[in-house]
Amino acid sequence: MILARSPHSAPPSAHRRRHAHRRRAAPRSRLPVSVAVLIAATGVLVVACAYTASRLGYQASPWPDRAYWLGQVLIAGPIGLRLLSRRALTANGALTLVLAFAAAEYLVKVCYSPAALANPDELQHWRSTVNLLHSGKLSTVNNLLPISPHYPGLEEVTGALISVTGLPVPAAALIVAGAAHLLFVSLLYLIFRYLSRSGRVAAITVFIYATNPDFQYFDSMYAYQTLGIAFLGLAVLGAWKVSQAEWPAARASWLAIALIAIAGTAVTHHVSSYMLIGTLFLIAVGCLVTGDRTAAIWPAFLALLAAIVVSCWVRFAAPQTVSYLGPAAHGIVGGIQRLLGGAHPGAPSVSGGPAVNRAVAAAAVLATAVLLPIGWWHIWRRYRQAPWIVAMVLGSIGWYAIVAVRLTVTDGSELAGRASTFVFVPAAYVMALAIVQLITTVLRARPATAASLAIVAGLTLMFDGLANGWPPYWERLPGAHQVAGADLSAGPQDIAAAQWTLRLLGPGNRFAADLGSYTVLGSYGDQNPVRDVAYLYLSPSLNIPRIRAQYLSYILVDRRLSQSLPASGQYFPVDPGAGRYTRPLPLAYLTKFAQVPDVNRIYDGGDIVIYDLRGAGNAP
Amino acid sequence: MRRNQAQAAVTGGVAVAWSVCALAGAPVPVLTVLGIALLGCPGFVWCEVLLGSGTGGLERGAVAAGLAFALPILGGLALQAAGVPLGRPGWAALLVIATLVGDVLLLVRREPPPAAPRGSRSGRPGMSPGHTVIFGIAAFIALGAVGIAWEGTRLQHTPGFTQLWLAPVRARPALANLGVSNHEGRATRYLLIVQRPGGRRSVWNLALADGQAWQRSITVKPGPPVSAFLYRLPDLTHPFRQVTDNVQAPAP
Repeated sequence: MILARSPHSAPPSAHRRRHAHRRRAAPRSRLPVSVAVLIAATGVLVVACAYTASRLGYQASPWPDRAYWLGQVLIAGPIGLRLLSRRALTANGALTLVLAFAAAEYLVKVCYSPAALANPDELQHWRSTVNLLHSGKLSTVNNLLPISPHYPGLEEVTGALISVTGLPVPAAALIVAGAAHLLFVSLLYLIFRYLSRSGRVAAITVFIYATNPDFQYFDSMYAYQTLGIAFLGLAVLGAWKVSQAEWPAARASWLAIALIAIAGTAVTHHVSSYMLIGTLFLIAVGCLVTGDRTAAIWPAFLALLAAIVVSCWVRFAAPQTVSYLGPAAHGIVGGIQRLLGGAHPGAPSVSGGPAVNRAVAAAAVLATAVLLPIGWWHIWRRYRQAPWIVAMVLGSIGWYAIVAVRLTVTDGSELAGRASTFVFVPAAYVMALAIVQLITTVLRARPATAASLAIVAGLTLMFDGLANGWPPYWERLPGAHQVAGADLSAGPQDIAAAQWTLRLLGPGNRFAADLGSYTVLGSYGDQNPVRDVAYLYLSPSLNIPRIRAQYLSYILVDRRLSQSLPASGQYFPVDPGAGRYTRPLPLAYLTKFAQVPDVNRIYDGGDIVIYDLRGAGNAP
Repeated sequence: MRRNQAQAAVTGGVAVAWSVCALAGAPVPVLTVLGIALLGCPGFVWCEVLLGSGTGGLERGAVAAGLAFALPILGGLALQAAGVPLGRPGWAALLVIATLVGDVLLLVRREPPPAAPRGSRSGRPGMSPGHTVIFGIAAFIALGAVGIAWEGTRLQHTPGFTQLWLAPVRARPALANLGVSNHEGRATRYLLIVQRPGGRRSVWNLALADGQAWQRSITVKPGPPVSAFLYRLPDLTHPFRQVTDNVQAPAP
């Protein structure tokens, strides 16, 4: 037994008696679990109404935005209150609350775009899925996300579902992503229930985990990470069960499940597979730190197996992974080196967005920075001999690393946001222990104060995740088309133009396009958009040698670039003027192509015009 | 009937029912329900095969879901390696065979005496009718929310547009595809004029319903450009859309 030396590992009968006593001592809540779930469902309804109002032309009114936040308060408030208060709560009740919360937030995500996939990341995987369905093969070309066909797990599951049901791709994608998301949440709950032996601590951990900026949207969207982290969770649960199994048959079964989950992770998502190796390795280290070498054997063995499986997959099936992830890894290392060397970091010191968002982010960072040491102190006092919990402590230190990455690395906010999916797992557990400790011990004499503080801290973290997560504040509500945005840049005109390119020009042409059209063109159009093309739009003249050097065949020009500033701060995927635009692009810069000899204007859709650049410069 | 027999009967029944319905060309709603069940069946069966009955409900569900996801992923790789196309026959064969093999293993295996999972209670108190009703109302409200959001996307007003194109036909450089597509949200009348070198003109009067397209191939020759002007009637003074094609002379 790994937890043999932990104070938590008292004989089961004594353990049960203690908890039974606590249950008797805790007063009953006046808010039943079912009512909390009902209020959360009402919150989803309020958010859906806010979205609909915004779609129907009330985007500029403050009321849809207020209704959105009211809906979120209704979702998170009662559930948070019920979990974080000292009132009695059964393990089933805690589980129900957590699953209801995850489902409610997923439905909010579904309501944002219920009829079609619109997010750029989702469109990338939509393309891979369509390619698989059309070709019946895994090794197709995805110009938009070239690495995607080498990690085909998500597309395989969706392809199988579509094949046996006849569902359209968006519906199947929503089912697969939703199921994977709920599976991940369930696995987190199970792992932390085993670790803490408390359904309530496990539920609070999951609730705090859900405050990470990527939980509501990014980790539940139709993208390979959504399924990858579910497999990661299953592999970690398998590792726990293998190391805890008392009978060889049970151990063999769980070992098989862990191996299947490891293989599933390796085939589905690159970063999740590396994080899985790191997690298992960290658990083995935790065992060694606590002096329990026997307990380290299984996690170490599974870490080694995972490393072998992942290495084989990268070596033989996905060698492009190195060049795909290399620049990001380089940026992190370089930023940290610059920081350690005392040089000026390469990233802006503050995040963008409204002042309220920044204030909430600062409060959340402060709350986390305070809660983590309290959790460590509590663990040191009570659980320092529990290897898996010590591993959580080691992992939670990574939260400070992602704060450093956010402040020091160019594009650090993006990287830190992605990393939070993984780092928040141990950090959430340590914070949950800290909160429970504060409620039950430190502030025991003042239960109302304790509950209020816990709820304020929990909701601050939650609203930081919502305000500073995805969709960004400039696309929080769906509605009219946005210039150079994300989800709202995939409007009917853009999609029709992209589909036209595929039908008339064929797939895989090298295209120049702005940021908003980039993903739509690469997904619906199956074209090969080039990122570094801002020069074509930012000058009154045409740089024909550079066009030829980039082998560009076509350019898509969206005249709306001359009417609005970019929602995202940049007009192009690689934009030298990012964050510095004060007025829209001059119309003359966008219409200049019509005057160039041998540049053909082959498509006119009103706002969107497509030029054929292949003859550019051929005129005498 | 023993527990594992019942499970094998249910999952085997789903696999067989899906196969019969697919062969009989059953409507999509029927195949959708059976297909979702079929995707989950292998995970459920193999979870039983691997873990038996001594596992808690949430854990059993999580493992079953994980295995259900893993089968198409790892099985799909195997099918690909065997040269089997990943279409409906391949996926269906994979899921049905995995389910039936699992069922056979479940039936021939001697079921061990049920062991209560650690930390679980043997007698779970049932949910009171009042709470059941409240959960039902919550589910109804949540589904209604999705319905409202769906209706919002349908009612959302987006500006209409018209597409005009003149693009070379792939692999046939002497031909160009000329087309108009109406997405204005209503029937629209157009006048399309193609201006060719030497002052030759072709004119079409088009009346297109919303969503309707018109296209044809026209002959183009290297030399001065061919231009197409589309007017949205009754306005004949300002071209509504305009495209050009300048066919390159073949390289010597």
